Amino acid sequence: MECVVQGIIETQHVEALEVLLQGLSGVPKERVRVHELCLKSGPNLGVVPSEVRLLCDLAQPTPSWTIRHVGGAMRGAGAEQISVLVRTIVESKASNNVLRYFYGIGYKLDHEVLKVGFAFRFQRGAQFTVTVTSANKMPKLHATDEAVAVTPGIQLVEITAPAAANNYNDVASSVTAFCEYLAPLLHLSKPGNSTGIVLTAGAAAASLMSSGGAKTL
Amino acid sequence: MDAAAAHAAGAPAGEQQAAAPRAERLNQGVHHQLNLEGMRARAVGLYKAISRIIDDFNNIARTTPGGSPKWQDVLGQFSMVSMELFNIVEDIKKVNKGFVVYPRNVNAENALILPVMLSSKLLPEMEIEETTKREQLLSGITNLPVPSQMEKLKARIDMIASACETAERVIAECRKTYGLGTRQGANLGPTLDKAQAAKIQEQEGLLRAAVNYGEGLRVPGDQRQPHSSLPSHLMEVLPSGDGAHNFGVYPKNTSTFTPNGVNTQGNAMQASGGLGRSAPSPGTAGTPNFENVSTPPMPYANSPRSGTNMMNTPSPQQHLTPQQQRQKLMQASQQQQLHAQQQQQQQLRPSAASLLAQNTVSQLQDLQGQSQQKLQVPGQQQMQYSQAQALSQFQNRQMQAARMQPGMSQSQLNQGNQLRSHLGQFTGAANSAMFTAAQASSNSQMMANIPGTMQSLQSQSILPQMQFGLTGGHPQRSHPTQMMNDQMFGMGSTNTSSMMGMQQQQQQQQQQGVYGNMQGGGQNLQQQGMVGLQNQQNQLQNQMQNPNFPQQRQQNQQ
Repeated sequence: MECVVQGIIETQHVEALEVLLQGLSGVPKERVRVHELCLKSGPNLGVVPSEVRLLCDLAQPTPSWTIRHVGGAMRGAGAEQISVLVRTIVESKASNNVLRYFYGIGYKLDHEVLKVGFAFRFQRGAQFTVTVTSANKMPKLHATDEAVAVTPGIQLVEITAPAAANNYNDVASSVTAFCEYLAPLLHLSKPGNSTGIVLTAGAAAASLMSSGGAKTL
Repeated sequence: MDAAAAHAAGAPAGEQQAAAPRAERLNQGVHHQLNLEGMRARAVGLYKAISRIIDDFNNIARTTPGGSPKWQDVLGQFSMVSMELFNIVEDIKKVNKGFVVYPRNVNAENALILPVMLSSKLLPEMEIEETTKREQLLSGITNLPVPSQMEKLKARIDMIASACETAERVIAECRKTYGLGTRQGANLGPTLDKAQAAKIQEQEGLLRAAVNYGEGLRVPGDQRQPHSSLPSHLMEVLPSGDGAHNFGVYPKNTSTFTPNGVNTQGNAMQASGGLGRSAPSPGTAGTPNFENVSTPPMPYANSPRSGTNMMNTPSPQQHLTPQQQRQKLMQASQQQQLHAQQQQQQQLRPSAASLLAQNTVSQLQDLQGQSQQKLQVPGQQQMQYSQAQALSQFQNRQMQAARMQPGMSQSQLNQGNQLRSHLGQFTGAANSAMFTAAQASSNSQMMANIPGTMQSLQSQSILPQMQFGLTGGHPQRSHPTQMMNDQMFGMGSTNTSSMMGMQQQQQQQQQQGVYGNMQGGGQNLQQQGMVGLQNQQNQLQNQMQNPNFPQQRQQNQQ
């Protein structure tokens, strides 16, 4: 299970967000370049199609593959009150022929996307992973070199934290608390809900990027 | 203060009760005392808190050089203190109603205080203060008449008001630029006009939908052509070329493998080529390759075609029962087979042979394949033939002498001729147009090669004779090669010789034009024959309804 929130930020403020996250997390940022292939199962595998995502990490010198299955989100009155989305997730590392394997058992490619950006992974009450990426689509199949951004002016910010069935409340509150720190720059919400941008993000970004006013140590 | 308070406590107690003064008063007194005591305690507590805060400020100012208490803390403490004071004052105001200061009588105690309490005159210090302020205010205009004084004062008030407004405005602007909230709490900061907001909303929707659900990223199937060069992380992952991408359509390879059996004869060739490129899977090499096995030419030692991919030797897994093979043959479509055979021919021998030649050759191949089994050694071949064979061989020799293909050995030609004669019989019936063309071409050769024979008659008679090979009554069989196959199977099983004998009589001249291409066909034939097909022979016999050759029929019905 994982707790996840998403938000958007204008591309011009991404640098300021990076500075803020760097300060809050204390860890160096990691480059992110993931080729995500979303496969849907064919009719031979059952009436209800299932979806599986294969993530190929292109940032490393040798690409590494991950299988990721996104399950349903928690529902109900309790879920309504939590401001993060809690959903089941299954992730696993895989070898290079995972794509061929899935094709072989009948999965078909539904869509693919290339995510380029950076990420911070740190511990703050829960194991946080904050990724700021721009989603790119490929005009030709698998043409990762020719990827074009879906929305050039806006990037996606996603905060995820793994949780278990017995502690997801604590994790959710940790995530919510952390989101408060990012309030000057962006609004975060459950993945299905639209948030809009923060109108004063420009001022906040300016203050983050400015070096005046700080005491030199 | 205390006296007044005591009076106040006493007075209401006295007022409210007429009887039981002591006890009542005590109760009332207690009640008020509680209030009073609480008030006192609270007032004292507040006083202590303020003094403590002041001490803290002094300490900070003293100890930290140049430092000052944090404004946030100061504000917090100030708010606490002021709230406490406000509460105390409110409570006192509530109780004030019960307190009235009136001395009932003047006596020695209050004689001195009462006038002070009753007077409205300002206290001396207050009076002094007011005087000085008045002088400051009216310093320059006291000599003017009162209305003008009032106007001047009004002007001053207006100036001060405008200065205050300006100051407010400046502070508000600074708040905006620095992102601080206004005092009122309403965010009057930068706002987006509707168009911008709508655009951003739309972009956000796009992005979220794309990332979460893949909207806007799906490429239609027909546009899913793989990039010319796959990125490195996919290069070794995906098999290249055909059979690779699974986009809801079964891989290209299998699309060629239709259930149509004979069709696969040629397509199998293509597919086998395709399979050869990528890693062939056992599944795909299954059914269609059965056909492939049935007609591949046997590697012929001296054949120029031995290097081609037609030389697929039957693999153990491609064994096919006679029934299956027959069914597959029956399902064949003419065009596919024609095309396939043409392709085969083109692969094997890019000769200038006509279309008929190609057709014939394919048929001949089959025939040859069958007969080749028994024709390994020319000598042995002859022994297997019926009595008609001697004549046919003679005729063949004639033709061999007349027409030598370059690069072909005599024995090959001999064998080829024997088989070709049979094939030629079948070929023409399939496609009369091609047949006539072949006839035309071969006629001239016939003239040259076979002197003394009635070529024209023969050529004309050949037509029905050629039809013999196919189902009688169908001058233009739509599946010549199919028939060829059937008959070849029949031939291949046992009596190749008998068939050949019949056909040779009729068709020898016809086939000169196509002899050049028939070596492979012989090998094909042999292959077909290998797949023991007694049943097919019987069926072929049934097809031979031509009454002109009862002799042959009998021979076939062995």
